[in-house]
Amino acid sequence: MLSFIARNCVQKIITLFFVSVISFMVIYLAPGKPSQVDPLNPKFTPEMVERFRKQFHLDKPLYIQYGYFYRDLLTGTTVSWKDNEPVLKKIWERFKNSLWLFVVGTVLTWTLSFPIGIRSAIFRGGAYDRGVTFLSYFLISIPGFFFAYVLIILVVNAFHVPVIGMETFGLGDIPWYRQGMDRIWHLLLPSLLGAAGGIAILSRYVRSQMLEVESQDYVRTARAKGVPEEQVHYKHALRNALLPFVTMFGLILPGLIGGSVIIESIFAWPGMGRMAYEAILARDYPIILTENFIAAVLVLVGTFVSDVLYMVVDPRIRL
Amino acid sequence: MEKPLAPRESKWREFWRLFKKNKLAFLGLVIFVLFFLTALAGLALTSGPKPFFDPAVVRLEEKLRSPLSTPHKENLSSQAIPRLGLYLFGTDELGRDVFSRMMQGAWISLTVGFVAVGISVIIGIILGSISGYYGQNGITADQMIEALVLILGLGLLMAGTLIPGALILIAGGLFFVFSQGWKKRMRKRAETGWTGILWMRIISVDTVIMRFVDIMLCFPSFFLILTVVALMPPSIYNIMIVIGLTSWMGTTRFVRAEFLSLREQDFVTAARALGVSNWRIMFRHMVPNAIAPVLVSATIGIASAILTEAGLSFLGLGVPPPHATWGNILSDGKSFIFDAPWLTFIPGVAILIVVLSFNLFGEGLRDVLNPRLRERS
Repeated sequence: MLSFIARNCVQKIITLFFVSVISFMVIYLAPGKPSQVDPLNPKFTPEMVERFRKQFHLDKPLYIQYGYFYRDLLTGTTVSWKDNEPVLKKIWERFKNSLWLFVVGTVLTWTLSFPIGIRSAIFRGGAYDRGVTFLSYFLISIPGFFFAYVLIILVVNAFHVPVIGMETFGLGDIPWYRQGMDRIWHLLLPSLLGAAGGIAILSRYVRSQMLEVESQDYVRTARAKGVPEEQVHYKHALRNALLPFVTMFGLILPGLIGGSVIIESIFAWPGMGRMAYEAILARDYPIILTENFIAAVLVLVGTFVSDVLYMVVDPRIRL
Repeated sequence: MEKPLAPRESKWREFWRLFKKNKLAFLGLVIFVLFFLTALAGLALTSGPKPFFDPAVVRLEEKLRSPLSTPHKENLSSQAIPRLGLYLFGTDELGRDVFSRMMQGAWISLTVGFVAVGISVIIGIILGSISGYYGQNGITADQMIEALVLILGLGLLMAGTLIPGALILIAGGLFFVFSQGWKKRMRKRAETGWTGILWMRIISVDTVIMRFVDIMLCFPSFFLILTVVALMPPSIYNIMIVIGLTSWMGTTRFVRAEFLSLREQDFVTAARALGVSNWRIMFRHMVPNAIAPVLVSATIGIASAILTEAGLSFLGLGVPPPHATWGNILSDGKSFIFDAPWLTFIPGVAILIVVLSFNLFGEGLRDVLNPRLRERS
């Protein structure tokens, strides 16, 4: 176990190094220079550009820039090129907003998919199962931005509540419960949209896992010895079907930084995805690279957690 | 004469019989064929100097007309009158005919899906089969040094420092000649001495490729695509290439897994005994046997590539205007969502139907091609 963890950590660090190199190369070798972003701005005189290039080491060769950048990142002193604010602080501000979406979306995904998947496995081939199957294909296939507009039209027309942004602007002094309701209405649609695809995929997966387990011999044995159907499903089958899902807890970690760009821009939600999008358009390389780096770290940590969890819950697995 | 006892069925016949039973997948196939024909027709009818349906005609006095409305012919010049005599899907905020624009966009969606997936499948099959077939072969130290030197030289050349780059490349070439010659000389002697360290196996081919897959999986894919597309000059080919280059990892893994089991089978041993070359064994004998999961993931990959392209167009990073794609029709129409909902709903529903058909078709293929799933569900 310990040797596995040690080996894995070394491997992950090497992977991370290559990720950092590749993302750096992709961004810096792309055509166009960050110092040319705004040629029409009268403040951008050649001296300004020169100072800008000096300040952010853009006049040095690439590998030295790489060194500077990751030294700054690891000591937490990277600053954005646009406003000289520390990048980590900016990301943290946005992260707090995205976290809401992530938490509500994840809770919705995990609480809805299991009942749906289990029920359609138990009544396999029935009307419910077929309906859910079609619905989940529907949810996987619908473009998120289109679905968002459909939902906005529906909710706005049916309930007459504002849904764009994080809260209604200029509400002034209102009682806390109304403010809370306002926040919930704003939160509901984007997180539901973020969860829709997840619910569809996860419930299909729950269904196929349940079917796999239900065809095992020990389930047949349980039925044969007269265990009530409820107990067969929930005690014998479900518990064994749950095994792979434990590992998926690790895999939801990367979603923390993801923050859907499209959904956040439609709902004017000041989250991380939108910050990344704005940074890309403004060629604010420190923000892009930092977010990319954090995302890679989360992916690696996620796979690591899921490997370890697998070993913990399933003693047959030896990595 | 002996006759076959059971009615023989060719592989395709059997596939077709099973496939037809799956109603949803069959529906998916039908829609896919229709979409294909529409896209071809769209390409033929909306391009060229004098297109049959002109998606670019601006009729400012006819803007935001609802679907199925008839044009006010008296206000329009003779070229501006729509061919069908009515606006089948309405007009947009510049009075352009949405039907013609949808026809034009269909071809973009189709090519983006197929080219992107084509690129990713080719990379996936090549890397996956090398990794599965040559997996155990080690990479020796001298090969590693060689590769590093060459990459460094090329990198320096590309970064603009010509003289050191060229020097390093020449040094790499000399090292190659030297190590080949040295190896030949050494092979004759029994003990290799200290230079033996150069030919020590350091890492296997399989490890290198699979670690590379891990590295690529670390990038949040939509974010990476967004970055590259935003930094590159806007062009549809860039989008196809970028989507292809960021989505081959799954295929590589499937192909590698298939190859690991196929490699041990008798027909491969037989081919090897006949003296068939390695590449021929890989691509003529093994790839056709490993293609089933690739086909499934490619079909579903087309669906997700179409969605990605639509998303990029929606963010305004896709195909540059005035060329219409389904994503940017929707994106332009979103400001009029309450006045002209058809501008949102027509492209949205079209994307939905096409993507849905690919997904259903792909899942159907998976069920039919995988004998283990056949009896179930």
